[in-house]
Amino acid sequence: MTGSAESKSMSERIHPLVIRLTHWVNVIALYIMVTSGLKIYNASPIFGFLFPDWLTTGGWLAGARQWHFFAMWLFVVNGIVWVSYNCISKHGRYTTLFRPKDAHGVLPMIKYYLRIYKQHPRTGKYNALQKLAYSSMILVALVAVLTGLSIYWPVQMQVITAIFGNYDTARIYHFLAMSAIVLFFFGHLFMVAIAGWRNFLSMITGRGASHHGGPAVVTASHGSAHASPH
Amino acid sequence: MPNNSNNAENKDLGRDAKFARRSFLQLAGLAVLSACSDEKKDAVLHIGQQFNDWVQSKVFSSTKLAPTFPDSELTPESQFRVNGKDDGPPKFDLAAWRLEVRGLVKHPGIYSLDQVKSLDKKVENVRHVCVEGWSIKPKWGGTRICDFLNWVGVDPNAQYMMAECADGYYVPYDMPSVMHPQSLLCYEAYNKPLTLEHGAPLRIVMPVKLGYKSAKWITRLTITNTKPGGYWEDQGYDWFGGI
Repeated sequence: MTGSAESKSMSERIHPLVIRLTHWVNVIALYIMVTSGLKIYNASPIFGFLFPDWLTTGGWLAGARQWHFFAMWLFVVNGIVWVSYNCISKHGRYTTLFRPKDAHGVLPMIKYYLRIYKQHPRTGKYNALQKLAYSSMILVALVAVLTGLSIYWPVQMQVITAIFGNYDTARIYHFLAMSAIVLFFFGHLFMVAIAGWRNFLSMITGRGASHHGGPAVVTASHGSAHASPH
Repeated sequence: MPNNSNNAENKDLGRDAKFARRSFLQLAGLAVLSACSDEKKDAVLHIGQQFNDWVQSKVFSSTKLAPTFPDSELTPESQFRVNGKDDGPPKFDLAAWRLEVRGLVKHPGIYSLDQVKSLDKKVENVRHVCVEGWSIKPKWGGTRICDFLNWVGVDPNAQYMMAECADGYYVPYDMPSVMHPQSLLCYEAYNKPLTLEHGAPLRIVMPVKLGYKSAKWITRLTITNTKPGGYWEDQGYDWFGGI
């Protein structure tokens, strides 16, 4: 990386511009998708409850549908850019894509979080659990999109609808995919809150400490030579 | 942020923080803009909706049939739901009912229910999907709209149809969906004549469209090349309404 001065390592470029842009576009897209989706849900609730109006976007069903089907393009195109970037860049391999060789790192991280291990396990840029979380969200987003198509066009997309049973069951899966995304969002917020203000800023400026949270440990095997001072 | 330190790291952080604040304000500005300027927002959403209508017309296949169901999977007649404009069925003289056809057809005029029924009857068990999200699987029976329109000599190049109803409801359609083999001028449900609350004597059933396109109590069909508006479509529901 910079390698010029140790003091500069606190402001290394840790989040590439593409990642930062897609991150915040995703925040906007998901905010619209979820809140307008709740309004659509309220028009004919699957379960025995309604969401309060202040949680919803669109004013009424027609407005909510306009928002929902507008933001879906934002969400899908942005998601394609994000996934593609992660697949082709080194950054993705270090931070997002959970690969078979990351599997051995899962248990130690769980033990660390459960306070069974005092010492933060040696990890790459992101630890195995982080990668697992981010990678599983790719699948969840895919399910959200496919179930969305299933209930938007249950005749034209009937092959996809059939994967999720039928129109009525696909609605339930669509709701569950949304719930998983919202759950991830709160978990993510919690972790950011723990990691601190600088960690939050780094997703805007792209700069920050090369290692989030725990002690700065970078294994040579992962080839990510962020030598951090501590 | 530390601002009384003179080491490089903290200067960097100070600069980052300024940049961060600026970015954050821009982001917040975007959020405020989207919350304030109703006109611009509606304009953007309207363009998005027109784009989606166009995508829907491209995704639509005239030969793809809506899934059909065996009688055993039908929604029981007791749960055959009614959705309307909230003001219930209109009051009109069933005996005096006629269907007017006008516009781009060789034989415009007034047609009776018997004339509509004189064409081949098609019965279909298909899913009826309401824009609200609920769905039912009724048994419909009626005349294919394409058979009827061909019988009255519809212009094969016509682009739109509008249906008008006894209660003032009106709804526009693209011709490919109208001519779809499952689109019906429906006069039966569950092998019995339609009840008034379900649109007697004649309603439209279009399994390739959302429920608001299944107009009840229709009294007039207009074939045109001028894109018509509709009761819900003019208020913000999508014009194509395909599923």
